[in-house]
Amino acid sequence: MIWAIYFAIASLLAIGIYGVITKKNLMKIFISISIMETGVNLMLIAIGYIPGGTAPIENGDFTTYVDPLPQALVLTAIVIGVSVLALALVMVINYYEKNKTLEYRRLMKW
Amino acid sequence: MVIHPVLLIAIPLLFAFLMPLLKRAKAVTIIILLFNTLLAILMFHNVYNNGPLYEIIAFSPPIGIYLYVDNIAALLAVMINLLAFINFLSVEKVEIKFAMLYLLAVASSTGIVITGDIFNMFVFFEIAAVSSYALVAWKRDKEALEGAIKYMVLGSIASVLMLVGIAFLYSEFRSLNIYDIMNRMDEGSVLILLSFAFLLTGIGVEAEIFPLNGWVPDAYQGAAGSIASLLSFGPSKAGIYAIARLLMIFSWQQSYDLALYVGIITLLIGELAAFRQENVKRMLAYSSIGQMGLILISLSMLDSTDYAIIAFFFLLVSHAASKGALFLLSERKGFGSNASKYAGIVSVMSLIGMPPMAGFWGKWYIIMGAMQMEAWWIIAAIVFSSVVEAAYFARYLSTTMQEEEHASIIAAYPPAIMATLTLLLGILPFIYKIATIGGVING
Repeated sequence: MIWAIYFAIASLLAIGIYGVITKKNLMKIFISISIMETGVNLMLIAIGYIPGGTAPIENGDFTTYVDPLPQALVLTAIVIGVSVLALALVMVINYYEKNKTLEYRRLMKW
Repeated sequence: MVIHPVLLIAIPLLFAFLMPLLKRAKAVTIIILLFNTLLAILMFHNVYNNGPLYEIIAFSPPIGIYLYVDNIAALLAVMINLLAFINFLSVEKVEIKFAMLYLLAVASSTGIVITGDIFNMFVFFEIAAVSSYALVAWKRDKEALEGAIKYMVLGSIASVLMLVGIAFLYSEFRSLNIYDIMNRMDEGSVLILLSFAFLLTGIGVEAEIFPLNGWVPDAYQGAAGSIASLLSFGPSKAGIYAIARLLMIFSWQQSYDLALYVGIITLLIGELAAFRQENVKRMLAYSSIGQMGLILISLSMLDSTDYAIIAFFFLLVSHAASKGALFLLSERKGFGSNASKYAGIVSVMSLIGMPPMAGFWGKWYIIMGAMQMEAWWIIAAIVFSSVVEAAYFARYLSTTMQEEEHASIIAAYPPAIMATLTLLLGILPFIYKIATIGGVING
């Protein structure tokens, strides 16, 4: 079962990286980054998973529960991801108004 | 007297979000930055006399989050807050949003420096990055937006990579505490090596090291002078300090070698690219990249020689103060008043490494270190880059000196104060004593 999760993580990361590298549309680039973030969040959760563990709420009935720390980390990471994405989209809107295009010219001027 | 380092982060954060209610943005921000500077100086005094300071939040380590302040961290906190204070004086028209973002950037840069928890460091990196994206885009013209978006794409990818690195590290050690991980670090499995690679790449974007610094010239060019100055002494310096901590965790010979090679390439490419630039801010940005390379070289010697930590400190502070002053001056075509001329000349001399300035001691000690290691090619690279630096800064001075464009007093004096700091730091010998006890960074 766990290999399926890792497969999902790897594919999410790969899709994200592929999108960032190949797409020229700014909106698509930021969505790809968001997909990568989802992959990493899933990875953190998977790291904290203990087979047969329950939700980390102590009520005496359960003795094995999953590692709660990665879940807290993921909550933080999700919030950060959302705020960065929101700011990014605002900037993309501004960029569109100035340039009338979403194409990002890859200027590597030195 | 008990000093709580957490106040350095908590107070600016609190007031950043209270700002819309308080209205008087400029006055409040100045008071907070001044308070922070004084607190940081007190904290340094305390750390210098009584040894490293801990602040535990909620649980005791290694479970809970904690702040760890040693000499170098305290000095960096002083530097960031003091320069942020001086820099803020030069902003003539302060909007509430600007003040909020500014405080967030300062608080999070300080946070990166004093935190002892790697995930906490990631969070502060994100706050610093998000506020700097917004600040870079502040002018909202084409250049600013382009710079900000470039920074943002790279910065977001960097944050993902950092998170992957943290996840690997956590899965290996089941701990996020930097000092706990450091003590348990051994030869390293594949997972640890991967986590080092991911963390270095992630932090490297913020620290402007070579293959990851494509955003630097565009972002600095698009940003206003006071913001470019903030970026050069705030987040980027915190980033390079985070790399120092990273090298402390993964303290293998190979990682120091890697830092050395990356540092040399960054130095040479940054300086050579700066030589070719037409635009002042772009030139200063590339020069920043070069100086970051120099700082990285000094970090890579941490293991081999005692001079490295002194060189690191001097290079860092001299670059922060003098590049801050030059970015502030870059808002205008020429220097105009005498105060600006003084600031420009002193800063340029410090960056090139002329004797009475702080930058001289940085280069002096790094070359002393290299001589001790008998690595002559490092000296050759540093001397060569200094010559290139001298060439383009001479051109810069000759063009800016001739322009007579007088700025208001508010805009003219902050760079002069920063330049005076580099001058004082170069002259006052007791500062050397402070730097020599900095052996703390090795653990």
